[in-house]
Amino acid sequence: MSGGEGIAGGEGIAAGSLAERELARQPARPPVLRVDGLEKSFHRGIWPVRRATAVLKGASLEVRAGELIGLVGENGSGKSTLMQIVVGLLKRDGGEVERPARLGYCPQVPMLWDKLTADEHFELFARAYGLDEKARERAVAGLLAELQFAKYRGYRVEELSGGTRQKLNLALSLMHEPRLLLLDEPYAGFDWETYLRFWEMSERRRDSGMGILIVSHLLAERERLDRMYELCEGRICAC
Amino acid sequence: MLSAALPTAAAFTREHLRAPLTLVLLIWIPVFFVLIFATVLGDFATALGGTLASQSATAISAGWAAAFLSGTLAFFQVSSSRGADRRLSVAGLGPWRVATARIAAACAIGIAVSAFAFVTLWLRSGIGHPLHAAVAILSFAVIYIGLGALIGAFVKGALEGSLLIILLFSLDAFSSPEMTSSGALAWTPTRDAANLLIAAGGGQGSPSADWLGMAAVALGALAVALAAFWRAARTRAE
Repeated sequence: MSGGEGIAGGEGIAAGSLAERELARQPARPPVLRVDGLEKSFHRGIWPVRRATAVLKGASLEVRAGELIGLVGENGSGKSTLMQIVVGLLKRDGGEVERPARLGYCPQVPMLWDKLTADEHFELFARAYGLDEKARERAVAGLLAELQFAKYRGYRVEELSGGTRQKLNLALSLMHEPRLLLLDEPYAGFDWETYLRFWEMSERRRDSGMGILIVSHLLAERERLDRMYELCEGRICAC
Repeated sequence: MLSAALPTAAAFTREHLRAPLTLVLLIWIPVFFVLIFATVLGDFATALGGTLASQSATAISAGWAAAFLSGTLAFFQVSSSRGADRRLSVAGLGPWRVATARIAAACAIGIAVSAFAFVTLWLRSGIGHPLHAAVAILSFAVIYIGLGALIGAFVKGALEGSLLIILLFSLDAFSSPEMTSSGALAWTPTRDAANLLIAAGGGQGSPSADWLGMAAVALGALAVALAAFWRAARTRAE
């Protein structure tokens, strides 16, 4: 997997669909994520009844700076697996991934410590991102205001509702203002107001140059997206 | 590396000490082991043809208390925080720093457990060689941190992992020195630490071979724990 703050400029996407032709007309923006021919199989059981299930069979996609991209597919189509490989949580069997070293990741199921407070989570992740105290406080104050959960910053995760946990989950992925943001079903548990606020936040960040990839089995807000990929049988079947 | 790992270790330690059950067990397990388990251990030794004296059984039970609780908590450190630790690792902290923080947290909890076990033993029967006993009890804790973390790295289920720790603990405890007439197992991880603790409880010194053996096993356990915590925090293949 390639690291580095930027990845090399990508080739133009062959004009096919309306969205692709629209993209081709736009001035070239640098790609922040390029996935090419990604393959992944999971192995279950022990010999001699060990079996392999191929989940990704050559999936390819690209996200450019300042793009809000959707990735949809049926349950078990490999969306979350693809995202976990891009993030570095899973190893890939084949293919290439080029992405910036600085990325944000909001997992589908909040990966948090139940007995630590929201503030303690911010401290831990700020250290991982290399933010100093001043930068951390500025980022946290902004996110708490945007997502409206400042009053819960001293609460332990086990004391938070599902929706507030999800807000914390999302805030942790955003606090270092990454160049590439990967969101896996990010609005599960949000109420309607928060859901709308989430899309406004995403659009603001897209407009400021962040590349965003949103994974969902169902994307109702297609008009807000610049493009949408569909994953079928382990490959991108529509863009 | 330490500047990032130490505050993270402090957070991980807080995380465990905030569980009310952990705090209860921290006090209750040493009391239970030194006051009750020691008697049971002595009775078993008699039934198995061993020669474990009452005072020795009491001394060694303090070590078992530290071992059992430290091992169980190390297992849960790996199994219950796997996802969050891995997320922190890929966010930029890296698997080595996460593993270092985890092992520091496990050792901090191990020291607390050992201190409670030591004080309970002291209050129950007195200790002839307090310094020797303290080092031996801490070694019990460190050895089981290694075993608990190792099980946690490979076994995901809380029930399966806990049962494995109990199985290992039982094999180890009932094969300890002076437990049987035949010596059920030729070698167990805590054999040298147990020899030292029994001798320290009775006010006797120990041969250097026991000290060296105990140090080697404890250091090996720390290395195993570090590898297990690293494995839990790294990019996985499946």
